[in-house]
Amino acid sequence: MSDNRWTVIAACIAGVLLIVIAIVYFAEPAKSLPGFFPGHEAGSSHHHVKHGIAALLLGIGAFVLAWFQSGPRRVEA
Amino acid sequence: MVALPLALISYGQAVLLGLLQGVTELFPISSLGHSVIVPQLLGWDIHQNDSFFITFLVATHLATALVLLAFFRRDWARILRGLGRSLRNREIGDDSDARLGWLLVVGTVPAGLLGLLLEHALRGLFASGSSAAFFLMLNGFMLYGAERLRRRAPAAEEGESDERIAGRVSWRDALGVGAAQAIALIPGFSRSGATMGGGLLVGLSNEDSARFAFLLATPIIGAAALLKLPELLGSSGNGVRGPALVGSLCSALTAYLAVRFLMRYFETNRLTPFAVYCVVAGAATSLYFAL
Repeated sequence: MSDNRWTVIAACIAGVLLIVIAIVYFAEPAKSLPGFFPGHEAGSSHHHVKHGIAALLLGIGAFVLAWFQSGPRRVEA
Repeated sequence: MVALPLALISYGQAVLLGLLQGVTELFPISSLGHSVIVPQLLGWDIHQNDSFFITFLVATHLATALVLLAFFRRDWARILRGLGRSLRNREIGDDSDARLGWLLVVGTVPAGLLGLLLEHALRGLFASGSSAAFFLMLNGFMLYGAERLRRRAPAAEEGESDERIAGRVSWRDALGVGAAQAIALIPGFSRSGATMGGGLLVGLSNEDSARFAFLLATPIIGAAALLKLPELLGSSGNGVRGPALVGSLCSALTAYLAVRFLMRYFETNRLTPFAVYCVVAGAATSLYFAL
């Protein structure tokens, strides 16, 4: 498998993971976040919306990278 | 008798702060620094972390972003068409509009992420007038350093400014210049100063680096303002919406004049006057606050 293909697969996996993380940040208060998530705080009902936006932006970025990397290769003259 | 609530920001203060915001956001002299220093110098009971003042600043920032968007509307339309073309074709190739668009995206993302994650902490750390005055002085030295580099920057090449930017700035450069914007989270450091300096560092002419800085400014200022817009429309905006509207109009006026002036100024001029202003104003206010 070419390097390009691996980049596309890795970018897609990263994109899905980051968007899932974003949804968790949007949906769950700080007390319900997994302990290894930045912003986890026992007893806090604060939603870390900014962390969610950051993860969402990175996720979209990963998909954009995958989109370009999986495009047709231009044949140099 | 019903007691009227005290105005949190008077209309006079709103006019002055709005006019100041429009100029200082685009001139490389730190708008946040001035919004910390000036109220303290004038003895106003307005502080950077007051929720009503943050709400006021959101409105003036939104006005500045809208002015920038309107000023560069044709450029943005071209850039957005370029982005669309590249997504459709799944390649950027030699399309300078597409490349400039993606350079702006790459430059905006790190600043946006750093802003989202660090803004709250930095705002609490450096909220005093004396720290803003000190960093304003450092901003002057940063501008002077950029000015020294400008002398070694290549002369303006032929062609359109956007083509020159797209041709000269690499993806890594855009990432670095974009990340440099995050320094403006510290009151006293200028976002436009950092991006202009970064542009010079990667080899752009002064005119091109100013243009790149203003294009980079639009999404980041607009997004930051939009993110906090609910505060203006919610209960935090109570008692401040009127002054915020007046301040925004003043900010829009001076932002328009500032961007018009600066686009012409940087065709032939240097950052030195802004550097001198920052060092002198920073040193003088540091001394004043210390006494």
